[in-house]
Amino acid sequence: MPDHTSNGMQCHEFEGLLSDAIDGVLTGAQLDRFQAHVRTCSACRPLFAEVEAGRNWLKDLTEVEPPVSLVTNILASTTGVDTQRLRVNVSAPQPRITWLERAHAWASGAMQPLWATVRQPRFAMSFGMAFFALSVALSVIGVKPADLRQVSLRPAAIRHTYYNTQARVVRYYENIRFVYEVESRVRELKRTVTPAEPAPERKDHKNDTTQQPEQKQERNYSQTENHLILASAPLGLSVNDLPVVLVTTYRRFV
Amino acid sequence: MEDVQVVAMLVRRCVAGDAAAWEEIVQTYNRRIYNICYRFAGSADDAEDLAQEVFIKMYRTLASYDSSKGAFVTWVTTITRNLLVDHFRKTKQDRITDSLDATSSAHEDAQPLSEQIQDQSAPPDQHVRSREVGEAVHAALGKLSPELREAVILRDLQDMDYREIATVLKVPEGTVKSRINRGRAELARLLQRTYRQVM
Ligand SMILES: [Zn+2]
Repeated sequence: MPDHTSNGMQCHEFEGLLSDAIDGVLTGAQLDRFQAHVRTCSACRPLFAEVEAGRNWLKDLTEVEPPVSLVTNILASTTGVDTQRLRVNVSAPQPRITWLERAHAWASGAMQPLWATVRQPRFAMSFGMAFFALSVALSVIGVKPADLRQVSLRPAAIRHTYYNTQARVVRYYENIRFVYEVESRVRELKRTVTPAEPAPERKDHKNDTTQQPEQKQERNYSQTENHLILASAPLGLSVNDLPVVLVTTYRRFV
Repeated sequence: MEDVQVVAMLVRRCVAGDAAAWEEIVQTYNRRIYNICYRFAGSADDAEDLAQEVFIKMYRTLASYDSSKGAFVTWVTTITRNLLVDHFRKTKQDRITDSLDATSSAHEDAQPLSEQIQDQSAPPDQHVRSREVGEAVHAALGKLSPELREAVILRDLQDMDYREIATVLKVPEGTVKSRINRGRAELARLLQRTYRQVM
């Protein structure tokens, strides 16, 4: 590495001041000497230009917007219970009443729209009456009730259907209520045994590698750091002698 | 950048099991962490996975954060950086193969970056142009060695000071400055081939 003195400043000293100069925090005599070196040193002049250009390229790089799902996914995988990642990573005991949860999901999911309609007893009666009115209208305009023999349209039959439906609805409702009741009891039981949400652990993880900065644990991209430093481009070299291939060659060591 | 006492209180509430406090932490830091991961790992998919991993790690180790020993943002960045190192090591084998391929193609056609820029001859509209430039800088960043890449990301994209970066990377400040200078210079050399007229 050519380290000559130009205007009372050596190239390695220049390198040391380079980032301060780029940041604009260099002042007074130091700045004068730095600028004089840039003007006269053929090795440092292009280096200064490149570092400044590189900084400007990076300054133009704007922040990207994280995907909208990121926060939701993070919350689901930390405070939320139902994520694949936590099921794999956390060795928490699995709930013992999974069939109940499945029954709950089934009842509240797939059956909800249907259930909402059927649970109204007036539905069957209204439907029957509407059908009756239609059949009267049809008979007035000449359509014989015999044509619709398969369908029982007598008010008694409709009332019978209505009460039958209502009885079935009530029975179904009673069954569902039973399931919910059992489920809520089990939930109460669970709540008394385990906390509702896993709070962050309070214990220190001695083996954890992402710890406080003061734990002087070296974490490099390769175990052969010296190799890396040698292989990557040193500052003092003439810039024109540095092929960009160096970057990729360097990667072989990584 | 952060009010130490406010953050310390937020962390305490969070450790005590306050879900709202945790959500506030996630809302405050997800953008920063995602951006570091995106610029380092290169792909949006990887960045999303990595950012999520960072928060899972944070959530589990939050109680170990000591506000008297440094800013929360430095602690968060350290966790992020350490996970990026792990990610880089895990995918190292793929990278060696990739870089060997890249080396051979770089010899044949000495303009790898220009391939990513469409039709240089036609004067494109300013917005498209700046997006293309952004993509080229992002691609060039991915070609830097991980040591130089992380240094310039923390300095020039995250505006951290040298002392903070030294804490995160666990190297002396002089080394940080040297890596930043080398990273910027290499980036400029990579982009110079594509944008010689601009330089
Ligand atoms: Zn010089």
